[in-house]
Amino acid sequence: MAMRFFEQQTQARAQTARLLVLFSITLVALLMAVNAALALMWFLLPFSGGYPAYFFTVNTAMTVLFVLGGWWLESAALSGGAAVLASRAGAREVRPSVHAAEQLLCNIVSELAIASSLPAPTPMVLARVYSINAFACGWTTHDAVVAVTQGALDHLSRDELQGLVAHEFSHIREGDTRLNMRLAGMVFGLEMIFNLGTTLCEKNEAGAYSILAIPGLAIKASGALGWLAGRALSAAVSRQREFLADARAVQFTRSKDGLGGVLRKVASQQGDPMHEPRAFHPCVKHMLLIGPDGGAHWFDSHPPLAERIRRIYGRPMPAMRLDDGAPTRPTGVF
Amino acid sequence: MTLTQLITIAVLALLVFWAVGAYNRLVRLKNTIANAFGQIDVQLKRRYDLIPNLVEATKKYLSHERETLEAVIAARNQAKSANDAVRSRPANADAVGALTMAEQGLGSALGRLFALAEAYPELKADQSIRELSEQLTSTENKVAFSRQAFNDAVLDFNNAQGQFPAVLIARLFAFVPSAMLQATESPAERQAVRIQL
Repeated sequence: MAMRFFEQQTQARAQTARLLVLFSITLVALLMAVNAALALMWFLLPFSGGYPAYFFTVNTAMTVLFVLGGWWLESAALSGGAAVLASRAGAREVRPSVHAAEQLLCNIVSELAIASSLPAPTPMVLARVYSINAFACGWTTHDAVVAVTQGALDHLSRDELQGLVAHEFSHIREGDTRLNMRLAGMVFGLEMIFNLGTTLCEKNEAGAYSILAIPGLAIKASGALGWLAGRALSAAVSRQREFLADARAVQFTRSKDGLGGVLRKVASQQGDPMHEPRAFHPCVKHMLLIGPDGGAHWFDSHPPLAERIRRIYGRPMPAMRLDDGAPTRPTGVF
Repeated sequence: MTLTQLITIAVLALLVFWAVGAYNRLVRLKNTIANAFGQIDVQLKRRYDLIPNLVEATKKYLSHERETLEAVIAARNQAKSANDAVRSRPANADAVGALTMAEQGLGSALGRLFALAEAYPELKADQSIRELSEQLTSTENKVAFSRQAFNDAVLDFNNAQGQFPAVLIARLFAFVPSAMLQATESPAERQAVRIQL
């Protein structure tokens, strides 16, 4: 076995814990930055004597209120059953009696439920997506969904589909679906501070800035830093969880060619305009097997494909054509 | 009450909480093992049930290959009775060894059947045979995965009770390390049956 999956899992988990600590530090730093910026503004104002009573308490309370409020808003938007979330993202229930490939998906899901000692999640299909992809969602292991795209059903062999589903099972088992929705909430909370600052800086109808623009600018600046840091951190958490899920998929299936084959086929699909990963609903964006290509590496929620393939096989591997490795399933059944 | 007394009580309370938590964790891990073992049995039974159906469905196409079909059924019956023997005497090494042998025999009989099927295109095109063999593939995977899950559960349990502070609780309540399924380690078991029609 080229991949030492238990060690890689320990490593990925430790990284995640470190990143979550960094996230709380970001929050504290944001609080301090907002306080410091407002204190400086107050100090520079011409009429300022000492600070008014409860100046710092109110600043801190307001900031926390906004961050938590934003978090709560985003979490409320993501709440609801896993199946509801998945269908909002365009997935439908499987029809095993109509499509043999969907019966195969049901079988694979129940196999991996045994391998991972989890209750079987609801299998669903993204019938209109022709690129190879999949996602998992749900707040608990008892209410979870694994959805795969039509492209995955069409192009993958049985073993590869198994590797793909095993990767999503890891996200459910490790609580990544929940963690990611929480992180999305926190980042939105940090963004709220930035938005508050932006609102305060806007001109009024007369085209003049209000006196609030001065603290607004300070809030905007510290909010922007907090938001950027939050996004970079949540993306970094997500990248570690992807490596963990890859290692888990190899552990569950005891085969590196399953998931490895999927990633190599995806590598060959990329750049083909027919198979561009299309925009997914934000609630599942983090849970996809293959993330959308972002601009800056720091904000990518998924590690680069080549690196994931290298970690699975222990060495770089070339991309694989879509019809490769499919002889075990010539007509979509086997 | 002095500060020293308060601190002593707090430390004792923490210790008790930790001990209860550690004990519950060990019990939970032990139950996971029992559940994983039950799964193996369930999946083996399903496999024994599926094989006669598959043989029945292929009979129509393989009327000249009666011997191969009979060999599969005989191997399946032998494996099933070996499995029943293991269920009544789970810890018996001879019974487990007999089951391993019978399973190997069944594996090679099935392998011959599938090799034979290669020569019959109509058989491969038959819808119900394809469905049956997909079910059998899935069940083969479930057998392998439930063995694997069993061994992973044993590893978790043994790790949890072998590591330092928890080892005290494990000793106190006489938890003993569980044994892994050795059968999964043998090469013959690992390449069980490749179903390719």
